[in-house]
Amino acid sequence: MGFIAESLATSAALIVSLDPEVFATVTTSLAVSSCAIVLAAVIGVPTGVAVGLHDFPLKRAVITLLNTLMAMPTVVVGLLLYGILSRQGPMGPLGLLFTPSAMVIGQTLLAVPIVANYTVGVVQGADPRILPTALTLGASPLQGVLQLVRQVRFGIIAALIAGFGRIIAEVGVAMMLGGNIRGYTRTMTTAIALETSKGEFAFGLALGMILMAVALVINLFLNTLQQR
Amino acid sequence: MKLFTRFALTLALVAGLCSAALAGERLRMSTTTSTENSGLLKVLLPPFEKRYNCTVDVISVGTGKALKLGETGDVDVVLVHARALEDAFVAAGFGVNRRDVMYNDFIIIGPANDPAGIKGAKTAAEAFKRIAAAHAPFISRGDESGTHQKEKELWKAAAMKPAGSWYVESGQGMGEVITMATERRAYTLADRGTYNAYRSGKTDLKIVFEGEKGLFNPYGVIAVNPKRFPHVKYDLAMKFITYITGPEGQGVIASFKAHGEPVFFLYGPKGR
Amino acid sequence: MTSIYDIHDLTVAFGGRTVLDVHRLAIGTGRLHILTGANGAGKSTLLSLLAFLTPPTSGKVAFDNAPVPWGSPSLFRLRRQVTLMHQFPYLFSGSVFDNVAYGLEVRGMAAAEQRHRVAEALAQTSLTGFERRNALKLSGGEVRRVAMARALALRPRVLLLDEPLANVDHETARLLEELIATLPKQGICVIMTTHEPNHADRLGGRTIHLVSGRVVQADGAAEGPEPVAIAAAPVHRIAATVSTL
Repeated sequence: MGFIAESLATSAALIVSLDPEVFATVTTSLAVSSCAIVLAAVIGVPTGVAVGLHDFPLKRAVITLLNTLMAMPTVVVGLLLYGILSRQGPMGPLGLLFTPSAMVIGQTLLAVPIVANYTVGVVQGADPRILPTALTLGASPLQGVLQLVRQVRFGIIAALIAGFGRIIAEVGVAMMLGGNIRGYTRTMTTAIALETSKGEFAFGLALGMILMAVALVINLFLNTLQQR
Repeated sequence: MKLFTRFALTLALVAGLCSAALAGERLRMSTTTSTENSGLLKVLLPPFEKRYNCTVDVISVGTGKALKLGETGDVDVVLVHARALEDAFVAAGFGVNRRDVMYNDFIIIGPANDPAGIKGAKTAAEAFKRIAAAHAPFISRGDESGTHQKEKELWKAAAMKPAGSWYVESGQGMGEVITMATERRAYTLADRGTYNAYRSGKTDLKIVFEGEKGLFNPYGVIAVNPKRFPHVKYDLAMKFITYITGPEGQGVIASFKAHGEPVFFLYGPKGR
Repeated sequence: MTSIYDIHDLTVAFGGRTVLDVHRLAIGTGRLHILTGANGAGKSTLLSLLAFLTPPTSGKVAFDNAPVPWGSPSLFRLRRQVTLMHQFPYLFSGSVFDNVAYGLEVRGMAAAEQRHRVAEALAQTSLTGFERRNALKLSGGEVRRVAMARALALRPRVLLLDEPLANVDHETARLLEELIATLPKQGICVIMTTHEPNHADRLGGRTIHLVSGRVVQADGAAEGPEPVAIAAAPVHRIAATVSTL
């Protein structure tokens, strides 16, 4: 119990003093995960809409695949990409390993199945009158689909929130692909892992509390977007 | 939706710009977790970074992985403490210009009441023999790290293979292993630096054996071979090696203290 | 009298069941046509086809003397000349203005002209002043009138109305009835469905009667009615599928 109280005090002190190292991990986490969720939205939402609206022979299989990918352990994604991005791997010459870009790629891969999957559900559950109404009012096929997406944006933003939640809190990908480099690829989660490995449990928990506070602020912000 | 996108992209752009604007070149160094956790690098690197207007990216992992990163050309320079593995690394052509940097030592820590009675042992190998004989719990790093290599050397010197429920192979870092040993009232082989960091408040285990030549823990720095990996920053890596083996770097190392005690020791002008 | 739609040997089938089976049907411009028939007779499907939302399974459909390019990306241009109001219209989230202006927005109309058209359409449906109202918080009658305004704002050549007078309060029904009666004079071809026989009588215009997917009686001298045998085939009411995009 005392160690939780100590953590609360430490996290408050860290926030108030704007400790530069902690601040750096917070901005790194936010930058990487924000970039990744935007990319995941660009890839995942159209994919989900296309799968949701069309009937094709492998539809069931695709949805099952998306479901499975959602549950992939982050270390597995990290390992797979590590093999690809390492100098020994096919994308080695790009020198992406141990950079924030590598973490963005990894987290995008984690978030896409979530965003796509939820979007499929949202589109399939949408009122079947939306698209015909848009079309009969003169929308082109693209305009019609855009209107559909606009009408179900509440659900799609929920998909993005779910995806963001998963990636801001993950360690496996950030650690393997970023390398936890101080001041460069150290995120809140890898910093917590580091402090824990050093036996600094209270400090680790303090960082964890800051992470939760940041996640709370982000979610409040996204929630107000949803209500608009 | 658009607002959020703009916010996210701005943040990402800023972060990207910041890291790009960060001191010119980046030198990638892999080292062990215990080295980074000792805190030495925080004081050792800045003067070098300033002098050459660069940033040193430190990737701290287990010894095995640190060397592996050199073998795949994913880093420019390696700083580890596993002599046998380092020699193999150079012999296989992955690294060049290996230099001694500093050393510290290993100690055997255990419960204060020393159930296996190793305090009186003459050598570390003998101490290990006594632990095995008493079936006293012992936590091994089990991760091919420098510490683990040393442990294996000692079991070999003791002419035995440890086996049984008393011998636990944890596969974790030094800090975690000390924590585990504390919980289990067990012995373990630890580097002095990490133990010092844990001594006040995180563990109640005591040093039960120390000081023997066999527990010597030397650190070496190796540049990754540019002939093998043309893309590595060989010049910068050599500048770094010159710096940490030269008077300025050595001075920083010698004066570095943690918990009031020096953590690393220098070789004399001749080295060992 | 020119036909705006010319239909030959049309069938529409879903999952093996034939929902519409029309040998010959011509629909004239600038007139009011009333499509009658029991529930499930195929009225909504026919409207959906005329709105170019549901493609035929077989047969020829000509619009304005040109064959309809089903499945082609340019089909939406035809849809811009024909507007369908569903029986239970779906209003988009947002204001009444957003809804009524939607069709104008997708056609790229300038904002000022949009405002003008919207005001005009709202006036026709007695909804002046409703621009800022939340479309999701309207009464049943108001929803129907907004949907009507939304269609009228587009000044379509053909207006398809699915049961426009059913399930609304008396006041709204009367208003819509009066409005519908004036549309043919403006040159709009109106095709509306109803399952109440008195509507046909009161509004005049020509009646097309469907029974089990077949046109049984289409009176109005110039077009030549097609008395056809009655068959009993089960029918479904399906909204537009993506294949019509």
